[in-house]
Amino acid sequence: MKLFSKIVLAAILANLATLVSGDEITLYSHRHYDSDRDLYAAFTKKSGIKVNVVKASADELIERLKAEGENSKADILMTVDAGRLQRAKAAGLLQSIESKVLKDRIPASYRDPENQWFGLSVRARVIVYAADRVKPSELSTYENLASPSWRGRLLARSSSNIYNQSIMASIIAQHGVNDARDWAAAVRGNMARPPQGNDRDQIRAVAAGLGDAALVNTYYVGLLINSSNAKDREIGNSVSLFFPNQKDRGTPVNVSGAGIAKASKNPEGAIKFLEFLASKEAQSTFPQATYEYPVSTDVPWSNLQKTWGEFKPDTLNLGMLGELNEAAATVFNESGWE
Amino acid sequence: MLAKLKRNFKQELDPWSGSTLFLALIILAPLLTVAIGLGDTGPKWEHLKSTVLFGYVSNTIILSLSVVILATLFAVPSAWLVTAYEFPGRGLFSWALALPLAIPTYVAAFVYYQFPEAAIPLLVYIRSAWGIDAFQTAETLLRYGLLATFMAAVLYPYIYLSARASFSQQRRQVIEAAQTLGRSPRSVFLSIALPLSRPALAAGIGLVVMEVINDYGAVHFFGVPTLTEGIFRTWFGLADRSSALRLAGFIMVVVFAILLLEKTTRGRARFAEPSNSALPIRRRRLKGLPALASSMTCLIPLTLGFLFPAAQLLIWTSQTFSRVFRADFIHHLLNSLLLAFATALVLTALSLLIAYTVKLRPGKWLRGIVGISALGYSIPGAVVAVGVMVSLGNVDRLNASWLKTEDGPKLLLSGTLTAIGFAYIVRFLAVSLQPLQSGLRRVCGSLDEASRTLGVGPAKTLCKINIPLLKGTLIAAFTLVFVDILKELPLTMILRPANFETMATTAFSLAKEGRIRECAVPSFIILITGAIGLGLINRFLKIESP
Repeated sequence: MKLFSKIVLAAILANLATLVSGDEITLYSHRHYDSDRDLYAAFTKKSGIKVNVVKASADELIERLKAEGENSKADILMTVDAGRLQRAKAAGLLQSIESKVLKDRIPASYRDPENQWFGLSVRARVIVYAADRVKPSELSTYENLASPSWRGRLLARSSSNIYNQSIMASIIAQHGVNDARDWAAAVRGNMARPPQGNDRDQIRAVAAGLGDAALVNTYYVGLLINSSNAKDREIGNSVSLFFPNQKDRGTPVNVSGAGIAKASKNPEGAIKFLEFLASKEAQSTFPQATYEYPVSTDVPWSNLQKTWGEFKPDTLNLGMLGELNEAAATVFNESGWE
Repeated sequence: MLAKLKRNFKQELDPWSGSTLFLALIILAPLLTVAIGLGDTGPKWEHLKSTVLFGYVSNTIILSLSVVILATLFAVPSAWLVTAYEFPGRGLFSWALALPLAIPTYVAAFVYYQFPEAAIPLLVYIRSAWGIDAFQTAETLLRYGLLATFMAAVLYPYIYLSARASFSQQRRQVIEAAQTLGRSPRSVFLSIALPLSRPALAAGIGLVVMEVINDYGAVHFFGVPTLTEGIFRTWFGLADRSSALRLAGFIMVVVFAILLLEKTTRGRARFAEPSNSALPIRRRRLKGLPALASSMTCLIPLTLGFLFPAAQLLIWTSQTFSRVFRADFIHHLLNSLLLAFATALVLTALSLLIAYTVKLRPGKWLRGIVGISALGYSIPGAVVAVGVMVSLGNVDRLNASWLKTEDGPKLLLSGTLTAIGFAYIVRFLAVSLQPLQSGLRRVCGSLDEASRTLGVGPAKTLCKINIPLLKGTLIAAFTLVFVDILKELPLTMILRPANFETMATTAFSLAKEGRIRECAVPSFIILITGAIGLGLINRFLKIESP
């Protein structure tokens, strides 16, 4: 018995030792930006905590978290939309944390009311159009893209894409499933070609004259304008950008954000990491490096973002995007938007 | 009945079949976690049936059929020409035609996506001249056509290799007798060589169909959602895992049926296989126009499937090399090579053991289980990955509960290189097993049986007779698996340990950032490594065949 309790004690001590000396965190991330690496290095330099990264799609990482259960080495799940964070929360993969810094730095609409996930950068999905073929009066709302005047002129990527699913979720939240289905069917009917490629390809197709307007996230235009490739720069500069729904609910926005894994062995380190990403220092890199909007309000936008202008964001709680994600995918299937 | 089965089962169980059975069952475990979903209907099954399922199925069938037709046109005439005729470049074409195997379809997809983009002005013209409907028809035809063409151009080598092997084994006497009897060259090909090669062609076509069904990157990019894309949309979009696994299960069943069909046709055609004394066909020399036409017939698939993509990647690589080739890039390259090398070595050894045991103990039980455990090749990599994750997660939980008081975390399998290696084995067993099984049949024939009749044990026979005879086939199996692992993307993405990158994941990250030109650097390395590997196979197989 004595021997047994000694072993148990030794094991507890060993575990404590790993906790204390565990000055590293493991990040499961959907983000693929080169600039993130510099950001993580800056965090390590500041805190002494090493950042390990596993990159894959959010859906795959959520499956991995489920399969690994409490043995998972993940401390943080980072995604490129709030919907997937909400889904991870619903699956019991995240934990609530208390952090005054995060609450102060991140507006309430961009984080989970129960503190399980936090938005870290903001993305707006807008309409990119060819100024010479689209009259300003034709542009108003997402709803208006269903109008027959758009026949054969619209471009969008596949409905399996989370950004489109989140737009659909916001329309369902506003108008209900039936109207949303009619809307999607009409927009699909207005498309110049069946959905294909990514957001960049839609911008390229607008620039080349295949269609007149496309659904894309703003930062893709920024990435094209600042590309190392001359042709991409030309394409980025040739299109115009419109923030829809400014006169009613506002332009639908989303966040790239993170939550702390329930299985985390180093939640303190993970909180420090999130607090660093919400800090002024880290927030000010997003507008410059990836052309995403900062989530905190005290950070200046990049010059490019200033030329796009101020806009009113939709105030729908982003958690709803996750709640309505399944309904959105179902409606897309029913509407024929592949 | 049950008692009889039990008796059979007991008779078959000895150290050889026991260990093989054990291995096969371990490999089968992740596939079973997938197959379990086959029975129950998920909440969205009716929704799928009434909306998108038909589209997934018809896209899959149309694409598979068009790729198979095109790939056969690329592969069979060229294989016959390099076997039966002598023309300029024949020696080079003979092995170079296998090179497209080194190009992953997702890499071919982004090289070829320039064409729909370049065709936009033409499409715009069609719209202004003939209206929207004509434009949309043209766009759809262009996209499907291009997708089918480049997929056929990188996949035809599966048919080409088996066709060439089969043509070169046909008896010279048969072909020459037909020629003497006044049959035209075309008639010799159509009425003798081709029918004799049917089983080999079926095997090659089966592999092409599997690759098409399995593809995720290219079909997604070109906007042709097939069943595999349907799996992910159902799983992740509709959050209905059961229905998604049901789709995966259906794919497995269809592929199993194809394999079974292929096996039965081969079984019936076995008597047509040549004896070892058969002389290879004497090649006839072509001159003038026929020689030129033959060279072109070989050059077209080689250009579409290898020369053009390789040249494009090389140009992009030369433009972006300095931006991508940083210190950590070499580290990622070594990761790729070491992981592929180690896993391919283990997998080849396992396949040899399994193939030899199946030959040694030709019972239905063993053959059936081995056949099913090789089905990992037929389901999408990401689905295999999830199966592996779930299985290993359970093993880890078991471990953790048993070894609670010890230093638990070090014993975990999830998120280790072992997990990835295991997943590769589940996924690619068929790739090394098939050549070894046919090699054992073809090269060793009854030599090993003779050895055992003379009282030499099975282990010694394997080492002294089979392995030396199979040297070339072993190297070929190893190289095929090595190249496949090097190209592999979805499994590696999902299962890798932290901070672990390979050439394929580096290429994917760059492509995801829209840096297509930079993406050419890792892609080109995959391609060159694969090409060198295929060159090696060619060398070793030449030594082996008389």
